[in-house]
Amino acid sequence: MEATQATPVKYDMKVVRWFTIMAAVYAVVGTLIGVYVASELAWPFLNFDTEYITFGRLRPLHTNAVIFAFGGCVLMGTGFYMVQRTGATKLWSNGLAWFTFWGWNLIIVLAVVTLPLGMTTGKEYAELEWPIDILIAVVWLAFGLNHIMTVAIRKTSHIYVSNWFTMGMIVMITYLHVVNSMAIPVSLTNSFSIYSGVQDAMIQWWWGHNAVGFYLTGGFLGIMYYFVPKQAGRPVFSYRLSVLHFWALTFGYVWLGAHHLQYTALPDWTGSLGAAISLAMIIPSWGGAMNGMMTLSGAWDRLRTDYILRFLVVSLAFYAMSTFEGPVMSIKTVNALSHYTDWTVGHVHSGALGWMAMVAFGAMYHMIKKLYGVEKMYSEGLVNVHFWLATIGTVVYVVAMWVSGIMQGLMWRDYDEYGTLTYTFVESVAAMHPYYAMRAVGGAIFNLGAWIALYNIVMTVRTANAVRGANAVPANA
Amino acid sequence: MDVEAMTTNDWLGVFFALVAAIGMVAVYVMVFRPSNKEKFEAQRSMALDDEDPMNMGEKR
Repeated sequence: MEATQATPVKYDMKVVRWFTIMAAVYAVVGTLIGVYVASELAWPFLNFDTEYITFGRLRPLHTNAVIFAFGGCVLMGTGFYMVQRTGATKLWSNGLAWFTFWGWNLIIVLAVVTLPLGMTTGKEYAELEWPIDILIAVVWLAFGLNHIMTVAIRKTSHIYVSNWFTMGMIVMITYLHVVNSMAIPVSLTNSFSIYSGVQDAMIQWWWGHNAVGFYLTGGFLGIMYYFVPKQAGRPVFSYRLSVLHFWALTFGYVWLGAHHLQYTALPDWTGSLGAAISLAMIIPSWGGAMNGMMTLSGAWDRLRTDYILRFLVVSLAFYAMSTFEGPVMSIKTVNALSHYTDWTVGHVHSGALGWMAMVAFGAMYHMIKKLYGVEKMYSEGLVNVHFWLATIGTVVYVVAMWVSGIMQGLMWRDYDEYGTLTYTFVESVAAMHPYYAMRAVGGAIFNLGAWIALYNIVMTVRTANAVRGANAVPANA
Repeated sequence: MDVEAMTTNDWLGVFFALVAAIGMVAVYVMVFRPSNKEKFEAQRSMALDDEDPMNMGEKR
């Protein structure tokens, strides 16, 4: 990092500011839609017999909003932030960064319009129709090109591990999105996958699990490896382990998708291979989680007072938990109980809320202070309130789904002495009601925290702008 | 194993599986080789070295 100390670098950070603020907005919107669809499952009258707001149409809107709107803005904002700071250089193209910002937000608007209208490919986490898929590819490539070229023009000799994680995500998501979205259009709003039958399922879950692996895990690990040391003021515990973490994920994750298709028409060995590699992935995942946590060695006391650090460290605990739970669920014996039940939903949310959102909020709070040149957030107390709401909300949600999911699995497989099923399907649905209500409450608690974060961020920005304006007047007078 | 029944796709799968496995072993060797320790760990504090004030070309 020889260049940063010698010559001050002028960074392109205005686009990062906007990505960060929009991430806070989408966190509120995405989780709010999630609370609504969760409530629809508990209290179906909330459909109001209106097709546009049924669970089937709003659920993909929820997943697209939290994964691509919230998660995407976080990944792009932090990606542009980290690559400039660690490379001691401005962006290769500020104009292309703004194109990425507006293009990504246009995609989100298009999702908000088309999904409630029922325009969908029906492929999970890839529901948007082909014209929007093409736009996603263009905008994503613009982001990727800008990031990679900024790495190329860096003033430092080494490429920091966070940038490796971001570039790994860029390359793999391009490949996955293009291959999985291959379709034959029949109109502007309808198309059919070029794959059929079991091949379509395999491609879909090759995409589905690798979106988790490279976007929700790899991309956010890049964030973790930059923001945990920054916020803790300590160097990474082991840089060697971080390099190993990156390559192990890159080599390993692409094999896992088939574990989503146990006991289906897919050849048996592919699911077993997926499960075997999933179990092997516990080692690098836990190594990475320990690496992040051990970065706090000698600074654990800071968790008492540094609320942003709490977000980052608790996210690592959830990361470790999710990356153990996932491989266990991929084992065929466990999968026979867990698949198609709410246990899967609980697992996804312990990763999405506990890991991804927590590390994202930690990074966002850290960046807002740096980007607006303030020592503290508008209210440090509200950061703490947000932390506890996020933690409690996640735990309530996940516990509800664990209990509900395991109960579902046990009810579906229960036989009486004559060999007939003990419970009808509708009896299992009725038994879920208390847990669905509990899940909606957990989600609402998490959503309340997101509102508080948005308020705190907006007030921090307004306060910083007011101070900057006051300082600028005498200077211009 | 019925080698004669292996299709082109099967052989491609075997090839890529072996490349990934050998690549992974190579990474483990590279990372844990004692002579490489200092070279890698020299980058530990890289994220902390960019503490210059954020210059975004704005009036302060």
